Amino acid sequence: MKFTVEHLSKSYDGKQVLKDINFSFEEGKIYGLLGRNGAGKTTFFNCINRDIRADSGRFRIEENGVKREVSAKDVGYVLSTPTVPEFLTGREFLKFFIDINEKFVQDIRTPDEYFDFVSIDIEDRDKLLKDYSHGMKNKMQMLLNIIAKPNILLLDEPLTSLDVVVSEEMKQLLRSIKSGRITIFSTHILDLAIDLCDEIVLLSHGELESVEKTSTDDKAFREKIIEALTEEGNE
Amino acid sequence: MNKEEISRTFRISYSLKNTYRVNTILYSLKQIPLIKKLLPAKIYGVKELKIFANILSAMWEVASVFIWKLLYFVTLVCGVGAIYSRLPSDEVFLHVFLMLTIIGFILNTHLFNPTRDKYYAIILLRMDAKGYTLTDYFYRLLKDIIGFLPMTLIFGLLNKVPLWICFIIPFSVVAGKIFYSAISLVNYEKRGKAYNENKLSIPVWIAVLLLLVITYGMPAIGYVIPEKAVITLLIAFIPLGLLGIRKIITFGEYRQVNQEILAQMLLQLDSAKNINKKSAEKMISKDRKISSAKKGFEYLNELFMKRHRKILWQSTRIQAIVILILVIIAVIFVKISSGISEETYGLMIQNMPYFVFIMYAINRGMGFTKALFMNCDHSLLTYSFFKQPNCILRLFAIRLREIIKVNLLPATVLGGGLSVIFYMIGGSGKLFECILVFLSVISLSVFFSVHYLTIYYLLQPYNPSTEVKSGTYFIIQFITYVVSFIMIYIKLPVFIFGILCVAFCVIYCVVACILVYRFAPKTFRLRN
Repeated sequence: MKFTVEHLSKSYDGKQVLKDINFSFEEGKIYGLLGRNGAGKTTFFNCINRDIRADSGRFRIEENGVKREVSAKDVGYVLSTPTVPEFLTGREFLKFFIDINEKFVQDIRTPDEYFDFVSIDIEDRDKLLKDYSHGMKNKMQMLLNIIAKPNILLLDEPLTSLDVVVSEEMKQLLRSIKSGRITIFSTHILDLAIDLCDEIVLLSHGELESVEKTSTDDKAFREKIIEALTEEGNE
Repeated sequence: MNKEEISRTFRISYSLKNTYRVNTILYSLKQIPLIKKLLPAKIYGVKELKIFANILSAMWEVASVFIWKLLYFVTLVCGVGAIYSRLPSDEVFLHVFLMLTIIGFILNTHLFNPTRDKYYAIILLRMDAKGYTLTDYFYRLLKDIIGFLPMTLIFGLLNKVPLWICFIIPFSVVAGKIFYSAISLVNYEKRGKAYNENKLSIPVWIAVLLLLVITYGMPAIGYVIPEKAVITLLIAFIPLGLLGIRKIITFGEYRQVNQEILAQMLLQLDSAKNINKKSAEKMISKDRKISSAKKGFEYLNELFMKRHRKILWQSTRIQAIVILILVIIAVIFVKISSGISEETYGLMIQNMPYFVFIMYAINRGMGFTKALFMNCDHSLLTYSFFKQPNCILRLFAIRLREIIKVNLLPATVLGGGLSVIFYMIGGSGKLFECILVFLSVISLSVFFSVHYLTIYYLLQPYNPSTEVKSGTYFIIQFITYVVSFIMIYIKLPVFIFGILCVAFCVIYCVVACILVYRFAPKTFRLRN
């Protein structure tokens, strides 16, 4: 499976944020989308998730040589600030989600099995979500995306404000679910991108550019990325 | 500080205040539908618009000198003062004015008011704290004198206060303020705690309350402070003020004082931001026994309704009980005063449009949609499964049913009660009209319920931090209010009114549902 972005453009108030982007993402890989603050990472995600209308461009999935348009079901989006319906308990939210999506979810498991999978404690499962901590809300959001198994999983800086333990758990989780889908992970933390991702993609000047990942702790590699991001015109 | 420094500080601080006032004007222009489309994207850089906003800002600066003072005199001093008509007007005027002035020393010092202007200038831009504070302070005092003078002359003379006193009053008000602030500075030097007029201690609030009782309570029982005493005090403020000026000018720790009160301001602002979210979360019932045996969207809806029972059902239940009591009183009244004439009946039956406003006022639609957004949709709208067109419409239909049900309870009691009363007065010959009365109240209730949910789905006015960001939404709300209000003054025979109501309600519901089914999958989104 391949996910292709074709001729994607978006501008705000006359400023072109995304310039005719053409890119192809491949199944089974975690892509680290790196860009400076304001480079357009969130705009890029919002366009894919149809939260905002792109000026031009199309998103397609190619399976066994057949291309089709990306539908809403193909995309899962985990936001940096997790949002969950405050008036439901974790268990109720999970039940509601499975009810709505039962036709699409394969091998449905029990709620407790799901909670175990993302390590949400037994005593927290029947608490109202308004009383969940940031990390727990984040796990809840991830869990739904794991169950829905979208072909494309977008993560907008999801680990930035998590504590070390949860952050490590989430990294493991992402690695364990990466096969069979395309994961795009936006961050501005270089170390995290290098640590977790199989491919590094830079978003600068409104364009996407893949960076050859030669060796993980190669100093030259880091310098190359920083150089690319600080080039004139991106100040 | 020499003259040049003072004028430089003044110019900088004024232009700072003016800059963000100008930007606020431009920002507000951008919020108005239609107009915002005509404006260029980079609105803050367009010279002509900036000039226009600057003119408005300057006009406001001049006008505000007088407007607040005028309102102060018209309402608090003379407006309330006019109640005490048995006492001589000059004595009441001087009594109320003096007392309010003393309250003003405490609540409106200027010097200890943590404002955004001060925060930007002193903290962010690191301007010289003393220079800035004093320039700002004396400018405000000058504005006080200029603003007060015409008002004390006009309202003082109207109340037969001697001319020379009217002339002296503005100066003594300002002098008194200075003296009170000077004492607060001395107090700071001794105890190290800065006075913050927006965060007063409980004893000070009690003192203010007592002063208020003296201000308005004393004249109510026929007493005022003797005129001579008032005048002596007003005159005495002037030398005290001159004494205070010395302290205010020589005080050296303005940065510390400002940092302390500005930090408190920021804390208050932060908690104000969280209040919205917290108050929404408080609406959720903590009852652990709440559950639902339903599935899917009905499951979501039932849990939402059960956990928000307090704000939805409880309030309409209270409405229904109050209406029922009023109906019973009216029924008893009609029973015992057997002679209610045909004429009274005619008058009552003509005034049915009044109930448009009543139905507007008791409808819980707005609270319902707000709770929906705050505690449910603002989060679920970030999930793609929730945004599928069929899901949006399925849930819309469920919610429509619920919102109508919640509002129908008081409407049924009101409509039923009204038709019973009309039947008792009008007799069996008017049976059809009585049924129409019932139907029109019910259709009004349904109309407002549909209306609120429709505009919520079509405009989705909230942004993720639950602020209303849609100008169109505001305008529609305003029009809804105005139209409902105007109906109070319209007289229509019940026959025409009833038929119009039912027809309008049916047409509106059909159109609204068509619009929602057509557009909501696109419009029901989070605002970025």
